[in-house]
Amino acid sequence: MSWSASCSTQPTAKEVNHMNSLKEKCYQCSGLLSGLCIVIITLLLLAQIIGRLFGFIVPSAEDFAGYALAASTFLGLAYTFREGGHIRVTLLIQRFSSVPRKIQEGVILTLSFALLCYLSYACSYMVYESYIYDEVSYGYVPVPLWIPQMPVAIGVIALNLAILDALITVLRGKQPAYSEQEDALSLEEI
Amino acid sequence: AKWHMPTPYGDGNLQTQIAYSFVKEVKENTEGALDITVHSGGSLVKHTEIPRSIKTGQVQIGEVFLGILGNESPVFKHDNIPFLATSFDDAKKLWKAAKPEIAKHLDKNGMMLLYTVAWPAQSLYSKQAVNSLADLEGQKMRAYSPTQSRLADLMHTTPMTIQTPDIPQAFSTGIIQAMITSPSTGVDSQAWDYVNYYTDVKAWIPKNVVVVNKRAFRRLDKATQQIVLDAAKHAEAAGWTQIAARAAKDKATLVEQGMTVSDPSPQLLKELQAIGQTMAEEWKAEAPKEVGSILTRYHQELGQ
Amino acid sequence: MDMMWFSILLAVSMLALLSLGVWVSFTLIAIGGLGLILSENYQVDLLFATSSWGASTAWSLTALPLFIWMGEVLFRTRLSEDLFKGLSPWLGGVPGKLLHVNILSCGIFAAVSGSSAATAATIGRMTLPELRKQGYSDRMAIGTLAGSGTLGLLIPPSIILIVYGVAAEVSIARLFIAGALPGLLLVSLFMGFTMVWGHLHKDELPKSTGHETSWSARIKGLRKLLPVMGLIGFVLGSIYGGITTPTEAAALGVTGALVLAALTGSLSRHSFMDSLLGAVKSSCMIGFILVGAHFLTLAMGFLGIPKALAVWIAGMSLSPMELILYLTVLFVILGCFLDGISVVVLTVAVILPMVQAANIDLLWFGIFIVLVVEMSQITPPVGFNLFVIQSLTGKNILYVAKAALPFFLLIGAAILLISLFPEIVTYLPTTMSQN
Ligand code: NA
Ligand code: NA
Repeated sequence: MSWSASCSTQPTAKEVNHMNSLKEKCYQCSGLLSGLCIVIITLLLLAQIIGRLFGFIVPSAEDFAGYALAASTFLGLAYTFREGGHIRVTLLIQRFSSVPRKIQEGVILTLSFALLCYLSYACSYMVYESYIYDEVSYGYVPVPLWIPQMPVAIGVIALNLAILDALITVLRGKQPAYSEQEDALSLEEI
Repeated sequence: AKWHMPTPYGDGNLQTQIAYSFVKEVKENTEGALDITVHSGGSLVKHTEIPRSIKTGQVQIGEVFLGILGNESPVFKHDNIPFLATSFDDAKKLWKAAKPEIAKHLDKNGMMLLYTVAWPAQSLYSKQAVNSLADLEGQKMRAYSPTQSRLADLMHTTPMTIQTPDIPQAFSTGIIQAMITSPSTGVDSQAWDYVNYYTDVKAWIPKNVVVVNKRAFRRLDKATQQIVLDAAKHAEAAGWTQIAARAAKDKATLVEQGMTVSDPSPQLLKELQAIGQTMAEEWKAEAPKEVGSILTRYHQELGQ
Repeated sequence: MDMMWFSILLAVSMLALLSLGVWVSFTLIAIGGLGLILSENYQVDLLFATSSWGASTAWSLTALPLFIWMGEVLFRTRLSEDLFKGLSPWLGGVPGKLLHVNILSCGIFAAVSGSSAATAATIGRMTLPELRKQGYSDRMAIGTLAGSGTLGLLIPPSIILIVYGVAAEVSIARLFIAGALPGLLLVSLFMGFTMVWGHLHKDELPKSTGHETSWSARIKGLRKLLPVMGLIGFVLGSIYGGITTPTEAAALGVTGALVLAALTGSLSRHSFMDSLLGAVKSSCMIGFILVGAHFLTLAMGFLGIPKALAVWIAGMSLSPMELILYLTVLFVILGCFLDGISVVVLTVAVILPMVQAANIDLLWFGIFIVLVVEMSQITPPVGFNLFVIQSLTGKNILYVAKAALPFFLLIGAAILLISLFPEIVTYLPTTMSQN
């Protein structure tokens, strides 16, 4: 599949670069935060092992590890999307020629954007509800649930924006970042 | 109407079996107008998410272990205080005393209490025989709730958080040497594979409750509401009779499988009761008004 | 019958979205939402939020990103290369040569990790690039990995055995022991097949006979294996020595891998960040698919499709052998569209009574279920090992599934063998009673 780099009328190059580098930083940030959560899980579990050897317990370590896991999964969604990490079946769509392929990407990005808008609302509403109902966790340390649920909502919203970003890219006739990555991988295949 | 009822434990548990018969009674008496599907073993909703699902109306009815609500309000801890109520008779009285506070709290969150089913009394499983607390000193004991951790502290043992599925491995690899749980859990997880002694200390009698979403309940017509309430009353009555029989049967199974089952020595009982006293006072300090009224009512019940 | 049309509608919609190139996780969520609407459950938003929160905070899953990270760290060290250099004098003379590294490493790593996705991701990260570099058939490299990655479920510890043990009230300790011999059986079936294949397809293996197979080379090779063996031994020892639970062991695995990387001089700020971001990419992908799978499972719970199928089978009054056959087919079909663990969770309440009525040993049935769930890990469109390998290699999911097909059939053969000789499962547990 080939995406002709048909450059339409562009805003000043400087502006675009500025925006792009800011956007780039946001994607990086998504990945780094997610990675940080994986490190936190590791440290929590290590603390629990060491604690067991020396006879102290890390209170609610399981709960906190679970919260970090959720945060890691959701905060990294945007980065993973950008990097082409979310997998899909490309068998059929790879056979499309340039124009139908652009339409296909546009259609599925629009559908995905709609879906993610709904999910963003659902997850934000969950946080809001936990907040107004004063929901607390069930473990040893009572944690107000809206705090660990916050990263879930933020992560879904970030993914939503990443999809919007890709949709805009496609509408401007360019190839979205995720599919560049996919192409790089399938080239390697041959 | 068609309702969904998530429950936390598997089909072999008495609680789940009672849920099935409750649902059956409702269906028969309403001639199918109210059809409740039981989703046992957390298959529809994870245990910790069940209260929230009922509260927000994602499901109309469900069952929870009362203890997991302990962080929401101290009144939910009443059946987790060691040596407060150790026989089914006392547990019934304690429930009678606590019920108004519990109902009030659930009501505030849009839920209504239907019925409760108790577990058998929680007793001590250990690798070695325990005649006094000195025998346990310094050992590692399983704790899954704040109350249990405090109990482990007071028993001079180290509390260890171990999830139920990890229990057998935790015992056989020496991560824990003791735990307090019901004879049913012991039978279900085949405790004789990994632990030798069962001391029948009867520390406390925890309960599951079945609650319904208030709005969903109000949407039923008066006659159906009455049928549900009647079925709940029958379920609760059946629960109290059957759980005593189940406790005896499960204890017999432990003996049959070669575990040493014994009553606690007077020494151990005395030490444990002192701990129970401390914990009851600490519990009361958490919410003097609500807990205080539960305790007053309970002592009145006991006095009668 | 409504339910049949619902099932067809859901399956067709899923296939349509997937072939249109909609991401797998998004597809599962969309189909889950559709299922909820079909079941006249309109609180899709609340249900999605609650189910996602439950699925993504599950304690048993915390090990997954850590094992994936461990694989990313090891991949960036010399250790994966050493693994091959160390094993080639031993395997160079065996038909199929170093393809056996996949099977053996998965078998060993399965004793540390409880999930098949983690096993395939960790081992595949180390072995696939090396096998390709040495000129092994891609298809076979992928097939052996997809197949033997599923060993993570059968060889203890195992998430699925815990789920089943809790649901069926069978001792988890006994289930773990019961999984050992069938695990070995599968390893031998996989290796046997690879040998036969290697014998027939010499042209798809590297030509060079550079593998020295003398005993001195073998001993030398062992030295190269020491670090990896040490790491695995350390993690295993910590589990069976009572220092950690299997979930926590993942943290020791990562730490050990980082220490090894530091000792061999391949740990830098750069490689650390690279490995971590690599882990983020895979674990977010799998994590979000799990969220979707969990949501779809919820919809299935409300719709009751799997339960209805199980009830239908229960109504046929089959002989035990027929029952096993029907259940295998049922699980394989459900396993195409749902994650294997969900299939067990959704059907176990209906299936266990009929299994008991047919006098089938519940312990044996647990191992049977694990084997069919293993099969479902490598059937398209929803198969977690396929997803993992697609993300490792960029190969299309159908290609991976085709490569895994022989191993799918071999697991089927293992089911046949344990049905004919149930002692393979029940022998070890009977020896373990304390009294
Ligand atoms: Na395993
Ligand atoms: Na599958």
